[in-house]
Amino acid sequence: MNYSKIKVQKNISRPDIVFDLVAIPGTSRVLLASSDFNIHDLDISQQKAESKTLSGHASYVTTLALGKDVLASGSYDGKIIFWNISKNEKIKSLDAHQKWIRKITLSPDGKLLASVADDMVLRLWSFSEGKLIREMKGEHTPLTPHHFQSMLYACTFNSDGSLVASADKTGHVVVWETKSGKKVASVEAPIMYTWDPSARRHSIGGPRSLAFSPDSKYLAVGGTGKIGNIDHLEANARIEVFEWQKQEKSKEFIIDKHKGLVEFLEFHPDGNILLGAGGAGEGFICFVDLKENKVAHQEKAQMNVHGVFTQNKMTSILAGGHHRVMEFQFEV
Amino acid sequence: MSNRQFCGSMEHFVSRRGFIGSAAGLSIGSFLGQKTVAEEIKKQGKSVIMLWLAGGASQLETWDPKPGAVTGGPFRSIQTSTPGIQISELMPKMAARLKDTCIIRSLNTKNADHGSGAQLMMRGRRDDAALKFPDLGSVIARELGKPDSPVPDYVSFYLQTEGRNFAGSGFLGARYGPMELSKEAMPENVSRLDQISLEDFHDRQALRDLWSKNFSMGRNSGVLASHEQAYLRVNGLMDSKKLFDVTKESQKTRDKYGPTQFAEQVLIARRLAEAGVPFVRVGRAWWDSHGQNFETHQELVPELDHVMATLLDDLAERGMLKNTMVITLSEFGRTPSINASLGRDHFASAWSCSISGCGVVGGSVYGKTDAKGDKVAEGEIGAARLFATIYKALGINPQKNYYVGSRPVPLTDPGTEPVKEVLA
Repeated sequence: MNYSKIKVQKNISRPDIVFDLVAIPGTSRVLLASSDFNIHDLDISQQKAESKTLSGHASYVTTLALGKDVLASGSYDGKIIFWNISKNEKIKSLDAHQKWIRKITLSPDGKLLASVADDMVLRLWSFSEGKLIREMKGEHTPLTPHHFQSMLYACTFNSDGSLVASADKTGHVVVWETKSGKKVASVEAPIMYTWDPSARRHSIGGPRSLAFSPDSKYLAVGGTGKIGNIDHLEANARIEVFEWQKQEKSKEFIIDKHKGLVEFLEFHPDGNILLGAGGAGEGFICFVDLKENKVAHQEKAQMNVHGVFTQNKMTSILAGGHHRVMEFQFEV
Repeated sequence: MSNRQFCGSMEHFVSRRGFIGSAAGLSIGSFLGQKTVAEEIKKQGKSVIMLWLAGGASQLETWDPKPGAVTGGPFRSIQTSTPGIQISELMPKMAARLKDTCIIRSLNTKNADHGSGAQLMMRGRRDDAALKFPDLGSVIARELGKPDSPVPDYVSFYLQTEGRNFAGSGFLGARYGPMELSKEAMPENVSRLDQISLEDFHDRQALRDLWSKNFSMGRNSGVLASHEQAYLRVNGLMDSKKLFDVTKESQKTRDKYGPTQFAEQVLIARRLAEAGVPFVRVGRAWWDSHGQNFETHQELVPELDHVMATLLDDLAERGMLKNTMVITLSEFGRTPSINASLGRDHFASAWSCSISGCGVVGGSVYGKTDAKGDKVAEGEIGAARLFATIYKALGINPQKNYYVGSRPVPLTDPGTEPVKEVLA
């Protein structure tokens, strides 16, 4: 990829914080998960983009998953809501979790929806019916080793949907078999979690993003490094890549120009490039070249990036974050 | 927040030599001025336990939630046991027990700097150029401590290293300074030396008592009395070591409070209050959530909620709550606006504290902030009125004068009125 050709195509300021976003294929519509408890349907082709609002949640909407005609949204209110995106109407609302939902994700075949929340349970749902299929629990403990509430931040499917992975605050990452709900393996990313026992006596960090490589051999984990002063996300953003079947960390990458969390990870379809995004006070997108074993490019964003949606083999990258939506494109 | 603001400074630890010196200094006299101590108040055995939320807890994630406002964050509010009063969903246990607690939502203390903000909120006013004022603990020690008490008058736990050293006895001097516990929850240097057996120790005490009694016979000297009192206080201090030993509590009680360091220190604070210590501060650092405010408060607020609720229950069960005041206070609150790092920054214009137990109207709220929490809308008070209210609730006259030389120094700035609506 020619990183010198990356350009900002759209730069739209927002009054809210955008935690996730999806683009509806074949249209200029983008759906935003918002801090104002709503989903906003935005036409980014318009000079002054105005949005329609989908209301139904009672806290931050933090995560979206897009099916063919249906959108699922997850919120800190513990609900998953299914929406008809042709009519912008609510189809169904699920009391999915007892605590904050951190991530929902759709299996590649569009049949299964995975959700993780701070009740430390991974649940699999039928996307078409919204029915609970199974839940995976017991691996992610409710409390950290220091007796504070843990958090279950991330989940992702592999390319054929046979595996789903989940990651908690302490850096414990579990790979589960979708069909049986059984744990297949686990890996650890403890550097991403900082517990300060003496100066400030609480914690910060934790893995926030996961991605399987297209061949399912590797599992990438995104987060941050060890933090000295935990008042801030002051460590460089960090990606670790595991050969999860061997339960070994094979590579690690420091995003040395940017601090904060890697909140989004996705492998390029060719398996050699890993896209990351995130930040703290400021944000970034980055490209890791796994063949060259290096961080190939770091691009500053004008916001802390919380969510990304890619199209056309990553040639178009939509990013949502702190009071802003941006579109990056590779110039042809 | 820079590390430099808090790194390095003297650590106060109690040595027997220092304690003797300060205790002797008390009755040698000096500048303390009027001896109109309200003995009646002292007899009531009142105590204060301050939960010092160092670094600045967020009012929006504790006592003054704004759910749905652009500044409100992701947490919901929940109904408390008092109809019409809601607090953050992170505090379900306190919500169920609000009947003994008054929430003050209208602090405007105008100082959003850690160091000077902490000094202000520990003293109720800023130091003069020529005069350092005592903090709340020192004043309470002076007003509620008993001269013949075998236990310390003022104990301060602060085991974290960030945000220390803003307490102090100012012009009241070392006699009313805190016994600072900054390394562990057990006082240092108060144990009998290993090479002295218990029998030897008692023999030495008996011999000293005999000589002292003989020497004092026919003499009427303040210095002698002071010397004797110092020994008594040291002996009391050595004996009080067991008060700091949390293992003396039943496992059931310890389990109620929970396993965290903060929980154990609050349990010790209750033991100290029960034994007659008038002021105990438990410092709980560090709430300075410039990044990831909501995650930080998800950790810290449930701990505060559980420990505070357990403490209030425990005090009530022991019949102590009527005479024990529990305060939650910080150096400031946090900004309603949410920064790019999902944090909240320093904010002193419209924030909250709470007072439970002794002398206040439970199940109540005083003051109000606007819809976004940016400004105080009703009942604005500063540090001085808060302190006047605390003093008044404890039965102490906020306008009582101390004397530094011939200069009268009232406990709170002249003309400061307590908030009557808060007082029972």
